[in-house]
Amino acid sequence: MATSWQMPGPVRLKLRMPAIDLSLAGATLALIVIGLLTVYSATSVPGAHEGLWIKQLQWAGLAIIAAWIAAAVPYRVYEALAWPFYGFSLLLLVAVLVMGTTAMGAKRWLDLGPIHFQPSELAKIATVLLLARLLDDPKVDLRRIRYWLPPIVLTLVPFALVAKEPDLGTSLSFPVLVVAMYYWGGLGMRTLLLALSPVFNVALFFVTGSLWWFAGLFVALLVAARPRIPALILLLVLNGAVAWSVPHIWEHMHDYQKRRIETFLDPSRDPYGAGYQIIQSKIAIGSGGVVGKGYLKGSQKALAYLPMRHTDFIYSVVGEEVGLLGALTVVLLYVVVIVRGFRLAVTCRNGFASLMAVGIVTAFFYHIMVNMLMTVGWAPVTGLPLPLISYGGTALVVNGIQIGMLQNVALRRREM
Amino acid sequence: MLSRLAIAGFGLVVLGLLRLQVVDHEKYLALSNENRVRLEVLRAPRGVIYDAEGELLADSAPSFGIVFRPFPAESAQRARAVLTPVWMSEVAALVETDTAEVRKAVTTANRSGQTALLRADAPFRVLAAVEESRAELPGIEVQIEPVRRYPHGKLAAHLLGYAGEVTDQELDSLNASGYRLGDLIGRTGIERNYEEILRGRDGAEYVVVNAMGKRVSTLTEEPPRAPVGGHDIVLTIDLKVQNAMEQAMAGVERGAAVAIDPRDGAVLAMVSRPAFDPNEFSHGMSWDRWKELSRGGSNPLLNRAIQGAYPPGSTFKVVVMLAALRAGVAGPHTWLQPCTGSYYYGGRVFNCWKWEGHGALDFIGALQNSCDAYFYQIGPLLTLPRLAAAAREFGLGSRTGVDLPQERRGLIPDAQWYDQQWGPGRWRKGMMLNLAIGQGEVLVTPIQLAMVAAEVANGGRAIRPHVVKQVVGESEFAPERPTRPGVSADAATWAAVQTAMEKVVSDGTGTGARVLGIRVAGKTGTSQNAHGKDHSLFICYAPADSPRVAIAIVAENRGHGGTVAAPIAARVLTRMLLPDSLQNRLPPPRPVVPDTTGEVLVGD
Repeated sequence: MATSWQMPGPVRLKLRMPAIDLSLAGATLALIVIGLLTVYSATSVPGAHEGLWIKQLQWAGLAIIAAWIAAAVPYRVYEALAWPFYGFSLLLLVAVLVMGTTAMGAKRWLDLGPIHFQPSELAKIATVLLLARLLDDPKVDLRRIRYWLPPIVLTLVPFALVAKEPDLGTSLSFPVLVVAMYYWGGLGMRTLLLALSPVFNVALFFVTGSLWWFAGLFVALLVAARPRIPALILLLVLNGAVAWSVPHIWEHMHDYQKRRIETFLDPSRDPYGAGYQIIQSKIAIGSGGVVGKGYLKGSQKALAYLPMRHTDFIYSVVGEEVGLLGALTVVLLYVVVIVRGFRLAVTCRNGFASLMAVGIVTAFFYHIMVNMLMTVGWAPVTGLPLPLISYGGTALVVNGIQIGMLQNVALRRREM
Repeated sequence: MLSRLAIAGFGLVVLGLLRLQVVDHEKYLALSNENRVRLEVLRAPRGVIYDAEGELLADSAPSFGIVFRPFPAESAQRARAVLTPVWMSEVAALVETDTAEVRKAVTTANRSGQTALLRADAPFRVLAAVEESRAELPGIEVQIEPVRRYPHGKLAAHLLGYAGEVTDQELDSLNASGYRLGDLIGRTGIERNYEEILRGRDGAEYVVVNAMGKRVSTLTEEPPRAPVGGHDIVLTIDLKVQNAMEQAMAGVERGAAVAIDPRDGAVLAMVSRPAFDPNEFSHGMSWDRWKELSRGGSNPLLNRAIQGAYPPGSTFKVVVMLAALRAGVAGPHTWLQPCTGSYYYGGRVFNCWKWEGHGALDFIGALQNSCDAYFYQIGPLLTLPRLAAAAREFGLGSRTGVDLPQERRGLIPDAQWYDQQWGPGRWRKGMMLNLAIGQGEVLVTPIQLAMVAAEVANGGRAIRPHVVKQVVGESEFAPERPTRPGVSADAATWAAVQTAMEKVVSDGTGTGARVLGIRVAGKTGTSQNAHGKDHSLFICYAPADSPRVAIAIVAENRGHGGTVAAPIAARVLTRMLLPDSLQNRLPPPRPVVPDTTGEVLVGD
């Protein structure tokens, strides 16, 4: 620290070099370790899955290497390769529909010899990179349709392909990404809400059964956001079409068709599988209490009926064995990851990197929320694993890459 | 801003944790320590199928299955102590299956936590034995399962189809639609086509059980989901007509018959022979029996009414006549060269079925007597494109769109088809002559033939055959509309064809179809085929002045249309159109004397 009265010596060129974000790295490692411990515990009951934790340990090593590489490659390379990467991931999504492995009535995986690979994970990263690249352009004024529409269309393609698998849970992460990145890209909250109005339109219609609620909201949003004329016309047409068609389509559907849509939106309506799992999950967490039943001592037994206790419902095992304290620790670690992630987006100087960070953190956050709310019984069963903790090789490596990309931003946050 | 939103989200998770782990902790601890929650399925009844008058054709009745309910996992030691090899063999003896099967089912049940079916549709002696020894055999229970029942057995079996249990292999892809092991799924016929409507949605009940798997109470937190029954279906089939047709067809070993209402396309009766009993499938069928049914020489599972493709023989002359009249090739009273029993064309002899010849005939007389020589002369004049166009307008060569699965198209060859078959331009001479009498490559299904009769009856208005009239509780349901425009011809042309068809029955080759006091219009057909004796065909509609029914009959390898198929139609028409009081006083349908001998070949 140079003080004013010191003799002017040689100029100290050594600025503090930005290093990786230590709290982010620490929280990530802690979560991976917790994941390994829990996978060990969840599969320690005699049964089909013994020894999975060793596999998971290998994957964890691979994930850390992947994170390292993802951090080391300058993000400008990502920016440059955003388009081909996006195209490649779409190709894989199509491939999965054509020749994917069918399990539980959905085609989600590509079978590549020893590994099962879920291309939707890759598509998410690719979409984040492409959106970041498109929105970073200084010419872009998100209030104009010309700039506003193409990214949406580009996101709808992977969204539709993933929804077709069908994987509603993962597919919904795409619109969530767009909203967060548009907000970060400079679209005001009011405008954003206005742009989302067709979604509210449908949602309010199904909740209230009348269009008047939405009409009121729409007018309020119009007054608040004051869109330009072309945007106004587009919104009116869009909402008009939605308002007119949705009730008509709904009324003219047969009972069984409605039922199908309802089950698609809320699989827990299926009384056997999903609802049963949620009940088992709630019993496990609830019986854990504040301090839990003790690591490994937890009655896994309550979960023995739960085929996905080491994957989708792993948080129930945490809740049961180490109780509220353990479950809150996990929440806290996630809060660190998310908050540090957004912080990086704020502090870094490069627009692309900032947008990329927001996209990645949002996708991460979305997965955590959907999974955790499911295990406590407040969200439908969608089959999304808990990032960094659930058993699953490719998911862990992809999570590693995501964290690595955040560290990438941390390493170069001073760069313009 | 984004951080704050994220933290709010995590707050929600924390609230959820607090609710489960602090507020309701005691409750869940109790559930986890002493008792277990088990899911019990409440099966939804499958929809009932009725005929047009409300007569029952298919419903579901309870049957009793012997099941194994897995123990809660925390009593795993106990389970190991109980589920010994001795237990396995005792259970196997009790339910009368293999020990290996029992072991497999029990293992699966213990792994999945779901009930396993050991014996479906158990007879009373097994039930009684199980009830007696249930105390000594923990885990074994009796469960009521609905089983599909077809009270009329083989009647309309092909039309109704059957429902069978979902197989293991199918389960993976059907899981998402909510199918479980042991569920019924429609395989053929209406059961398959209306699967989504007939099938209900199963309910479930969460039951608290003790360590031995005995039910203690229901879980209050999660109210039971009541099963929602499937929709009932009302068919257009009239049991009276169907019965008459089944009886009339009883003597036909292989063949099919269809009756439709020419006004709206409603299928009134549909028979395919040989038939099967769909009840056999409800009780689980052995592999051998299934092979016998599906691969046997005459394939009883095939619905010949929509899946059998036959050369139409002389019934096709109706289409040829309409095509020729509207193209102006000949008029109703055009006299061509007299029939001498044979016709020379391109250096070949084409025989009329009547070896001594018909003499001079006009077009109406030619149809009435089914004179091949007259139609040989029409063929080349008409030309292939005009014939194919007319046949297509009648809907031949494409599916009628009836609401039954796996319908066949049949075949109406056109220039392109012949080019592909034999190379461009290298067509057989005399092809048009054969086509004009319904021989050659043309193939039709019985339901298409019935449609031809119906559309002649209604003057060319397109109809779409359908078998479901109404779905109970779905007021929106309506039969599908026809997708083609129909057959265009002027009134005089239709009148000529209709008159000629009436003469076929009143004083031509189809007198076997006469019904006392009813004007019947029809056309006989005898089609050569590669598989032995000729097929006997007949199409008709009645009453001729205000048609209410159109019928097509095909009897495989039974010779002449006039002698076999026409009297079958007469019996159906009699039963349907004459009042019951009159029918008892009628003499039995008269057998029609063959008007030709076997060696005469084509048409009749």
